[in-house]
Amino acid sequence: MTPSDWTCPRRIGFLFPHPCGRTSPVGCPDCQNGQIQDPYAQRKDRAGYDNYGNYDPADWPGAVGASGQPLDFTEADGETLVKPQEEFEGDMTES
Amino acid sequence: MSGRSSGLWLIYALGGGWGHLTRAAALARVARGPVRILTNSPYADEVRARLPELDILALDPELSVARARQESVRYVRASQAACLIVDTFPRGLGGELAALLPAWGALRVLIHRDLNPEYVRGKALDEFVRSNYDLVIRPGPAEAAPLAGLPQVRTTAPWLIRSAHELPSREAARSLLGVAEPQCVLVCAAGNRDEQAWYGSLTQALSAALQGVTVRSVAPLCPPGCPAEAWLRYWPAMDLLPGVDLVVGGAGYNTVNECLACGVPLIARAWPRKYDRQSLRAAGQAEACPASIDEAVSVVRACLARPGRTATRREFPNGAREAAEILEALGA
Repeated sequence: MTPSDWTCPRRIGFLFPHPCGRTSPVGCPDCQNGQIQDPYAQRKDRAGYDNYGNYDPADWPGAVGASGQPLDFTEADGETLVKPQEEFEGDMTES
Repeated sequence: MSGRSSGLWLIYALGGGWGHLTRAAALARVARGPVRILTNSPYADEVRARLPELDILALDPELSVARARQESVRYVRASQAACLIVDTFPRGLGGELAALLPAWGALRVLIHRDLNPEYVRGKALDEFVRSNYDLVIRPGPAEAAPLAGLPQVRTTAPWLIRSAHELPSREAARSLLGVAEPQCVLVCAAGNRDEQAWYGSLTQALSAALQGVTVRSVAPLCPPGCPAEAWLRYWPAMDLLPGVDLVVGGAGYNTVNECLACGVPLIARAWPRKYDRQSLRAAGQAEACPASIDEAVSVVRACLARPGRTATRREFPNGAREAAEILEALGA
């Protein structure tokens, strides 16, 4: 049985890694109730990532985004696009 | 109403500002049996001074989060209350009640003030409340309630610190306010201490801009920038409402519902809160929601130009009384 104050400690998400934060692993699409390892946990670089296409900018010379800027999306950009999850139950002066 | 309650009601009312404590006090003062309030509000002493008959157990608001959680659980366990009434936060403000509630061997009641839906989703509160509370009371039909679909929800009128028959007359309220001029604007400087400067500046701006109007600011300490002669230390501010023509304040639960009950127009600034959605309450219930002090002054001027309030005493229900009757009927 999952303790009532349990929060999943894993990081999940392919494009936008973020803390899982689920309060139960039951029905979780990412780890399937703890039966499989997080498929994204060990990745170092998305370039050439099997089954997810090739995102290495070097393979797309001259490509530009909607803003006209070169496509130089990196893992660090992914982090900046994640909306930080609001922390709850960590401040006893809130209302 | 049935006979006296047989056991202690413990109201868990942790949370910043006035709201949780005031709602708890509203219930405690109409209950027939013993009630204890557990709070960490910085305003506990103000409430104690005005209602010394209440049993208020106040945690130091400066405690660390870990220590506040520990103390809160210790007091709740030690109370052996026949009825545990939790205000707003189903798992406790710090999540500290989550492990305690499933094994609590007595009635568990949640007072369901509005809650941030992200919090409700993130902590799976729907399921938690369904499994761990015997009764959920929504204190006001207009109060947003993300858990309103649960089967154990009962809705009452808004809970108020005063019932209609307890309020002073318009003349008596104007005497409390020290009003000599025909009209009076009350700035309710409720909310957090870091918001007081806005109220102080607003009071100063209104005093300078409005001729023939008394401006008062009610707060435990004189808000920074507020003219000393305009400051009034008084609680509960609801006693003053029969004597005023307009209130400017936040959009917290008590300010909004007290103004509605007394029929006083409210101009509300919706302050950001982690759990409460003041903007929703303000949009539904306030006359206007100015974004700046200049805009607030303009709106106040326009509101005062309308026909004035009558001195007729208003009748309104007090949901705290209804809630006490529900609990007593359950044998709590």
